Amino acid sequence: MLNLFFLSILQLLYVFALAPLAVGILHVFDERLSSRRGPSIFQEYYNLFKFFRKQSIYPKTASGFFSYVPYITFGMYLFLTLVLPIITAFPLLFGPVVDFVGGGLVFGAASTFLKLASLDSRNSYSILGTSRASSIGIFTEPIILLIFIMFGVISGTNNPYVINNILQTSTSWFFSLVHLFVGVAFFLVLIIETGQLPIESHTPNEFGSIDSLMSLEYSGRELALLKWGSYIKSFLLMNVFLNVFTLPFFVPMKFNILAIVLYMFINFLKIILLLAIFAIINNIVSKYRLFKIFDYILIAFSFALMAMVVFYVVNGG
Amino acid sequence: MEKEIFALVGFWEIMLSIFMQWQAYTISNIKTFSVQSWILGIFLLWAGVFHGFIALIILALLTIITRAIAMPLYLGNTIRKQIYRARENKHRISTGLSILISLLLAVFGYLVYYLILAGHGQSLVSIPITLMLQGAFLIVSRSNAYSQLIGYLVMENSMFLLSFLFSELPFIIEAGIILDVLGVVVVAGLLMRVRDEDIEKEEELLG
Repeated sequence: MLNLFFLSILQLLYVFALAPLAVGILHVFDERLSSRRGPSIFQEYYNLFKFFRKQSIYPKTASGFFSYVPYITFGMYLFLTLVLPIITAFPLLFGPVVDFVGGGLVFGAASTFLKLASLDSRNSYSILGTSRASSIGIFTEPIILLIFIMFGVISGTNNPYVINNILQTSTSWFFSLVHLFVGVAFFLVLIIETGQLPIESHTPNEFGSIDSLMSLEYSGRELALLKWGSYIKSFLLMNVFLNVFTLPFFVPMKFNILAIVLYMFINFLKIILLLAIFAIINNIVSKYRLFKIFDYILIAFSFALMAMVVFYVVNGG
Repeated sequence: MEKEIFALVGFWEIMLSIFMQWQAYTISNIKTFSVQSWILGIFLLWAGVFHGFIALIILALLTIITRAIAMPLYLGNTIRKQIYRARENKHRISTGLSILISLLLAVFGYLVYYLILAGHGQSLVSIPITLMLQGAFLIVSRSNAYSQLIGYLVMENSMFLLSFLFSELPFIIEAGIILDVLGVVVVAGLLMRVRDEDIEKEEELLG
């Protein structure tokens, strides 16, 4: 019991400390691939420190709700960090609280709060960003649900730990077409959710931005919390993708402190590998027009649906 | 083992043909078709080596040479000379809708198997049926003659996959089909090159 509690704390520290580093490494990869030197990999930490020291300013038109939202969303990501399989493949103290659908619900609630706050700020650009994010979110959420359903079919449960254990031990499921198609679909959705290039470019103009517009009116500590929260969100999603879906190997299935500490390094290596793939994609594709994004989403949907067809065709249905 | 690899090949062929629906540029459709044919050829080659069938190996090599290399090269060259054909100006059906329809066709392909052929126990038959419907849909949904030709070739590939499931088709017929298609492509390419004016008309490939 006490062990699980300490492991939970360790997992929390691991995610919160390394999430900005992952973003920094991605930026360095991006710049190096386009033959530039790029910032230090610790740049995101400097930015967060800077924002924490600055004064917060709120728009006159905004209500009190606007100033609470960064704390609420940060708390939600804190909760999600405690329940997802990140450094262990057995449930930690808070693991049994929610399953996959519940986790998705908390992710959705956090982004809904953010959308409400950006509507509350009455900034036209924030509202533009909210409208874009909602219209994309409407189509990606069902795909995520379909992906979870297909993993439910594989494992018979909705529990991320069980899915990890099944994929880690059963090669026939790991190499099955269902898993392959669902993995590709999840990767396409991951690109949308983490705001990588074919979908979103992080330039200062308003044409390409989606999520970055929503936090336009925030400043000071609130901005720092929002940014940190969004890094944690990307980090968690990448971890779910790696630990549960695509590379479920080496995750310790029994309590062994040495294995867990060792796995923390392996896990970060996996993350760096994924970031390198993202950086390559960022350098070879250009941003899609806003209306082309829906075609991209359809391709992701077709992979998820194909997984379902495959399940019936191959297993005889 | 062979069943799994067949499913793998078949489903990637289906995904590539859905990808074709996404493309506006004819040249990328031709490249995608080339990839499709490479996958098919390598699969046939593997099956031939695995079972020790000389006929299958020859067939695989013929597939790779004609469909994966010669036809895409020939079509690509023809397109390069007529640069205005390289892109579909307006889709008859919007891209999103055509991808959705392709997905529905995949489900329909499985239903056809389930309702009609289920007694025979070969659930993999639904893959070639789906691929054939995809090819037919590519022909119907595009007004560009090149894309229609690619759609026809996709249907051809699906026939090949189907005949692999019900093996023992005489080699001479299979080889004949390949050469036949080569002839069709050359004739179609010539026709398209001769009829320079009025290229976006659909009656190009009507009888």
